[in-house]
Amino acid sequence: MNEKRKNVVVTVLLAAIFLVLSLAAWFKPVTEYSDSERRVLAKFPELTLQTVLSGEFMTEFEDYSLDQFPLRDSFRSLKSAAEFYLFHKADNNGLYISDGYISKIEYPRSDAMMDNAAAKFKFIYDTYLQSANGVYFSVIPDKNAFMAENSGHLSLDYSSYISDMVGKVGFAEYIDITDLLSLEDFYRTDTHWRQESIVDVADRLTSAMGGEISGSYTENTLQNPFYGVYCGQIALPVKPDTIKYLTNDVINACTLTGYNTGKPMSVQMYDMDKAAGKDPYEMFTSGSDPIIVIENPGAETDRELVIFRDSFGSSIAPLMVESYAKVTLVDIRYIQSAMLGYFVNFENCDALFLYSTMLLNSSTSLK
Amino acid sequence: MPYLFYFLVAVIIVYFIVPGKLKNLWLLIASLFFYGWGEPRFLILMVSSIVVGYVIGLLVEKFRGRGVSKLFLALAVVAAVATLLYFKYADFFISSFNAVTGLSVPLLHIALPIGVSFYTFQLLSYVIDVYRGEKAQKNPIRLATYIAMFPQLVAGPIVRYSDIARQLESRTHSFEKTALGVRRFIIGLSKKVLIANALGELCDVFQASGEQSVIFFWIYAVAFTLHIYFDFSGYSDMAIGLGKIFGFDFLENFNFPYISGSITEFWRRWHMSLGSWFRDYVYIPLGGSRVKKWRGLLNILIVWLLTGFWHGAAWNFVLWGLFFAVLLTVEKLGLLKLLEKTRVIKHIYVMFFVIVGFVLFNAASPAEWVSCLGGMFGAGGLPGVSSEAIYYLRSYGLVFIIGIIGSTPLVKRAVFAIKAGEKGAKAINVLEPIVLAVLALLCAAYLVDGSFNPFLYFRF
Repeated sequence: MNEKRKNVVVTVLLAAIFLVLSLAAWFKPVTEYSDSERRVLAKFPELTLQTVLSGEFMTEFEDYSLDQFPLRDSFRSLKSAAEFYLFHKADNNGLYISDGYISKIEYPRSDAMMDNAAAKFKFIYDTYLQSANGVYFSVIPDKNAFMAENSGHLSLDYSSYISDMVGKVGFAEYIDITDLLSLEDFYRTDTHWRQESIVDVADRLTSAMGGEISGSYTENTLQNPFYGVYCGQIALPVKPDTIKYLTNDVINACTLTGYNTGKPMSVQMYDMDKAAGKDPYEMFTSGSDPIIVIENPGAETDRELVIFRDSFGSSIAPLMVESYAKVTLVDIRYIQSAMLGYFVNFENCDALFLYSTMLLNSSTSLK
Repeated sequence: MPYLFYFLVAVIIVYFIVPGKLKNLWLLIASLFFYGWGEPRFLILMVSSIVVGYVIGLLVEKFRGRGVSKLFLALAVVAAVATLLYFKYADFFISSFNAVTGLSVPLLHIALPIGVSFYTFQLLSYVIDVYRGEKAQKNPIRLATYIAMFPQLVAGPIVRYSDIARQLESRTHSFEKTALGVRRFIIGLSKKVLIANALGELCDVFQASGEQSVIFFWIYAVAFTLHIYFDFSGYSDMAIGLGKIFGFDFLENFNFPYISGSITEFWRRWHMSLGSWFRDYVYIPLGGSRVKKWRGLLNILIVWLLTGFWHGAAWNFVLWGLFFAVLLTVEKLGLLKLLEKTRVIKHIYVMFFVIVGFVLFNAASPAEWVSCLGGMFGAGGLPGVSSEAIYYLRSYGLVFIIGIIGSTPLVKRAVFAIKAGEKGAKAINVLEPIVLAVLALLCAAYLVDGSFNPFLYFRF
């Protein structure tokens, strides 16, 4: 190719790329929702004199143009691939893959966040749990605890982190579950642990609180693939996980009441509609809910347990109901701690604070 | 993203559709839309500046040779300086006054109009050039197009009126020129999006980190030095490339400054349009070096004080200008001759002071600069290495290598060497469109994935 022809090719090729992408951006139908990122995408902003003069239109148009760009997911994949394989970056937006497992770097340690979480727990203890039977605290190390060091990524010093956190929650009896967990107990593509792998954790927690579980379950497998939250974020082709869930007569007989709408309403221990939805992990105790009350009609005891928890608690709670007549799951990310007294009776209950390091290290969402 | 795939494509399509005599008008409309998109309320300021520049230009020409011409020139200078003083420096002077006197004069909290330093300097260069004999622009659209032209409006290069006066009246478009422009634009975009942004992220990581070490300070200092070069020169490349697409030939703004053998040479290769502006409109009118030695040194001090101040209304920028004034003075007093005798030391010397200078440039205050310098040399028993520093060095290692190589003429020379042979030339001609297409798609991918990334020089 001579110089003259090259100039024509350069001009035509680049013009074609920009023209095709631009035309697609201008005329492509609006995409409402990004499955890979699990969020609603920005729409064309309101065009008025006021929004233009205030600059609001321009700011929102920027979001719109990014969110609605043609082949957006493919471009995100291209960027992710370039970061890992062209520039040899150790992570892309904090996400990394090691041995087929995807994780997000949890670093650095935030003492302020730890203190914030501890203060919230102390408030709950002081306000509601003075007459509780027993108050317990356990920390779930996130996936990085089992993969970051080996893969050369930044990670917390988990033993000192947990030990310091336990010191800050000194009013509660600590139950150590770290020795029971390994990387295989987590989904490869998601933040959470696998229910079928944490029976021993449920047993340890229940035993420490004076209860007992049989450990006998039927393992059920969801047919649809589970693309965890990290799949969309890392934007690279990865094999999906499979969700398994455990049932037995006790679990099947339980009734659940949720307060997501502010009023009590019946919810499912394993919600099959949510299992088929955007985030199948939400099937466990029907996903995010400020308060869920699980009643065990066949219980041979009148003991009650309140679990203050994050989303990890959704999948372990069903395994712990056997020892209690009632288990109440409280998620103070969705309800003010000061309001709990209107919904939950803490008299003579066991109380367990069960939180992952991810939440403790970024605890602004706790109310 | 709106700039590339909405605004720019539409502007280029219409530009090549409209007849020749309407091309300037279209560029002006597009430029005002571009400016209004970022700062609708400051459109009035820009349009008023253009009107003032246009009228004064005509008056200066009309009364050329008479004293009143000088008066009009002074009026233009005062108007430009007053604009900058009010919009850019008012709060700086008030807070400095408050600090010295202990008073609490309230700050004005005036938002800085985007690109005000660039277009004010262009306007000044126009009026001064007219005063010196250049023909005044009778056509207000042409003058407005020159002042407001969007490719270089917000981050330069500072285009001198005399350099493009003829092109504003008549210019040619060709596949060759367009291809050159496209190539330059894509290279500039890639420098900004693929390299500068990555290094900028690393600087942000350092500043947010609580785990500092000597090596981390150096990683930050080198990363910022490369970041500012790739950011700014990338933007200049984009502006020059777009200029070519629209038929203009803007002068170069960078010429591999990090290979310089002296600070004097560095400033001939870095932000050349600003350097030559100060040389021609401040340094030489002050007498340059053809005056008594002490006066020449004073001239250097004044020019570099203004250069530092031009970059921002903060003491670190003033100090940054003075820092280079001292180095340039020392070189003038004899160091330059010594440096010429060395081969390696002169480059180490330049890079050391350039890095130290850019650490000052990016510091929030002179105190932060001192603290950062302390960190670079292990003051206060700082550990030499930290796990975080090692992690980021490993993660950004290739970006650093690409950045270091890319800031030298090695790639350019290699391409020329390969092109010298017939087969090599053919191979390059085949590869060039492919590489440019891949870079364009990669930039799109990075922009889609990333959040808003304002160019660094927008704040000037």
